[in-house]
Amino acid sequence: MQVRVRAFARLREAIGGDLTLEVPEGATMSRLLAAVGETSEQAGEALFEESGEIRGYVILMHNGRRVRRAEAGTLTLADGDEVALFPPVAGG
Amino acid sequence: MLTDWELERYRRQIALFGEEAQERLANARVVIVGAGGLGCPVALYLAAAGIGEVRLVDGDVVDRTNLNRQVLHTDRDIGRAKVESAAGKLRAQNPEITVVATRATLDEENAALLAGGADLLVDATDNFGVRYILNRVALGARVPLIHGAVRGFDGQATMIIPGRTACLECIFPVAPPREDVIPVVGTTPGIIGLVQANEAIKYITGTGDLLTNRLLVWDGRAATMTTLPVERQEDCKACGSGRC
Repeated sequence: MQVRVRAFARLREAIGGDLTLEVPEGATMSRLLAAVGETSEQAGEALFEESGEIRGYVILMHNGRRVRRAEAGTLTLADGDEVALFPPVAGG
Repeated sequence: MLTDWELERYRRQIALFGEEAQERLANARVVIVGAGGLGCPVALYLAAAGIGEVRLVDGDVVDRTNLNRQVLHTDRDIGRAKVESAAGKLRAQNPEITVVATRATLDEENAALLAGGADLLVDATDNFGVRYILNRVALGARVPLIHGAVRGFDGQATMIIPGRTACLECIFPVAPPREDVIPVVGTTPGIIGLVQANEAIKYITGTGDLLTNRLLVWDGRAATMTTLPVERQEDCKACGSGRC
């Protein structure tokens, strides 16, 4: 099935734009995030801590709804879903 | 009552939202925390719009590396307090408003005092430590806070109305990591700062739909502006159930 990924800020720079990823039926948000991280070294660094945990400050959204990090492992995706990933910026 | 001078000076915007709204701007006190990349455009446009009292809070002095984006400061201001440098330009822009310059770095001790009496707070700071303090002050005093932040070609903004909308900690429960040097092109804080100033004018005049429960995200490389929905979090440490 296909899931559309909208990436913002540094993650968008790392990925180069929005993505449509092919993931197995019933894939979870975590599975999708891993697939996004595998697209490039920079994408992996933008999304994951060295420990492999998703970076806590990255905002995860599924079809326009905020997803908590703790939900990512159990939230199953469907064909045509949209996931948005936003690492906030901090300067002024 | 607006004076003849005011009726003339603000004619083009009075045509947009009326004399009563202009009087509200003239009676408003806005505290802008940070007189840097975001604070300069926010303050300049709020002064131009006729906000009655603009208070600037910043503890830094002007450095040459600020000048690509902190557009109220010039080469001659290097070494001066940013709030003094900025206040001088604002008074020249609009001599009929009150500009108060406070050279201080906002912290937990002084935050309530520095933000006291504000009708509106503007987050023009450059780190989440100070932002979280400002957010809690806004929640405690029940004063709206307009958040903005930038990096590179990217920026974000949202408006927080205590008790009604997601607060800063609902949206960003974990702060992004601090960077010693944050790369940025001056147009990014220019754009986000003007989004913040625009929200301030809308809030005070009661015009349009506010940027509440939405996070505006600007991507300067792609030239796109998007809003992402955000919502209050029941377990928010700052405004969660019973706290605000």
